[in-house]
Amino acid sequence: MGMTNSAAEPTALIRARGLTKVFGARSAVAGIDFEVRDGEFFGFLGPNGAGKTTTMRMIAGVSPRTSGSLEIFGQDPDLHGSEIRARIGVVHQQETLDMELTVRENLLIFGRFFGMDRPSIATRADELLELFQLSDRAKDQVEPLSGGMKRRLSIARSLIASPRVLMLDEPTTGLDPQARHLLWDALQRLKRGGTTIVLTTHYMDEAEQLCDRLVVMDQAKIVAEGSPRQLIVEHASREVLELRFPNGTESIDVKVLEGIGDRYERLAERVIVGCENGEAAHARALEHGLDPESWLVRRSSLEDVFLRLTGRTLDE
Amino acid sequence: MSAASSVAPNRTRSRLAAIREAAPHPTRWRHIVGYMISVYRREWQGSVFSGFIEPLVVLAGLGIGLGVLVGDKAAEITGGVSYVAYIAPALMASSAMNLATSEAAWPILARVAWVRIYHAIVATPLNAADVMVGAIAFIVGKVAFAAAFFAGVLLITGIATSPTGALGMLAVSVLTAFAFGAPMAAFSVTQKSDQGFAFLFRLIITPLAFFSGTYFPIENLPFAAQVLSWCTPLAHGVALSRSLALGTPVTFVWFHVGALLLWGIGGTIAAIYLFRKRMLK
Repeated sequence: MGMTNSAAEPTALIRARGLTKVFGARSAVAGIDFEVRDGEFFGFLGPNGAGKTTTMRMIAGVSPRTSGSLEIFGQDPDLHGSEIRARIGVVHQQETLDMELTVRENLLIFGRFFGMDRPSIATRADELLELFQLSDRAKDQVEPLSGGMKRRLSIARSLIASPRVLMLDEPTTGLDPQARHLLWDALQRLKRGGTTIVLTTHYMDEAEQLCDRLVVMDQAKIVAEGSPRQLIVEHASREVLELRFPNGTESIDVKVLEGIGDRYERLAERVIVGCENGEAAHARALEHGLDPESWLVRRSSLEDVFLRLTGRTLDE
Repeated sequence: MSAASSVAPNRTRSRLAAIREAAPHPTRWRHIVGYMISVYRREWQGSVFSGFIEPLVVLAGLGIGLGVLVGDKAAEITGGVSYVAYIAPALMASSAMNLATSEAAWPILARVAWVRIYHAIVATPLNAADVMVGAIAFIVGKVAFAAAFFAGVLLITGIATSPTGALGMLAVSVLTAFAFGAPMAAFSVTQKSDQGFAFLFRLIITPLAFFSGTYFPIENLPFAAQVLSWCTPLAHGVALSRSLALGTPVTFVWFHVGALLLWGIGGTIAAIYLFRKRMLK
């Protein structure tokens, strides 16, 4: 029960120490520490089942923790859940909209749940419809909307009471690339407007694009923490050489792989080599007699950080 | 050391806060009623038949059709009134049961398991208890609406012998709706699909109408069945409703009212408990 830290920064909106959640015999979250600061874009990055959603649910006050301490706005969600929930907006991974009501009605009813009066709800709803480019669908039912529109409506709904913190669980899963980019823009606008945003994702590019700071979660634990840049510098080399072997990589000699770059990861059909200079590493690979079907050189990404820390890729 | 971490010195206060977190808020549940009214405004046409027309069709069909068949023998079981007058107030109570149970079945399951909007609502200042109290209150209100129409028809046709009686019948329908709606909501929040409903309606709800004194007196049943019948809410609703309609003295009022309230309150507590368990994992 880590309850000793009192020297934390005063601007932390969310603070967890030894936060743990156990379901039966399984630890979904196994003693994690983190802080989300005022105004930042904070990410939980990790594969499915890493404990990200459970952590979000504990923050949102809909999942009582098993042990550890958790404070949101300096309050314990077990004791002040309602007050805390009044100041955070939550967007679930699956849509939770009312399909029988119209787009605008979905916003109006949520305003009431937050105790707002009708005139301010109406003003705020129209503002949000405008912001999320849903004004021309305001009077339509939700059911026939596209996935991207439903997602934007869910986010608009979570913002009805102008929350201090917005929490998004896998916000772009299942969206096409254009809808994703539209959503990323909207989130960045919100952040500039001063909203603190916490998101979970298993997309590296999303975490890299959006997050000021993030924690990498794997198997219920936090395995790394920092800004995307820091994490890459700390845990990955400058460049990455990817060699593709459609017939498998098992037969390749370890000695050969060790000789190409600073480090390597052997996947089923790919070898990923961390190095200073990708072109030079490729030349060395050919010298060692490797004959990949194709190859590419790129800058290191968070994907490589994850691979390095866990020995697995995120979509495994 | 912050307030939330220093649990030991004010344990009582934390315990009170935790109870307040789980208990229904005095007024927030009304927003769930407001939400359901918004939904109802969009699809009220669909429920006009089940809520308003169907009970009258059943009354006309059974009352007149079966009434002719029962003929002179009706007086023996009804104590002198026509068969229509005998079953009408009972049908009012049993249609309160039907409407309340179906309203507490699919609409609640859908919001828990299909469209999942309840998951979003418990992430607002409302808690699980507010959601259940509001959902049950809406069901009771909706039944009251339909029952008022039915009571009006009975009053106009002279089946209900006094306006006071009709008003009393309305109150009985409300209690009956509470007694069925709340336990049904408790059942619905535990379900993953609607297969359980088919079982429940065929084996319990539909047969109940036959064993609760709706069409013939409970006294005609074997003793064991009579006992069982008084353990369920409908028999109490029927007994009260009938006395009020016919203007006969209402006996054992508090026994009947108490039984209905017990089912309603017990059901509400169970619904809150089970809904919390489902939502707050």
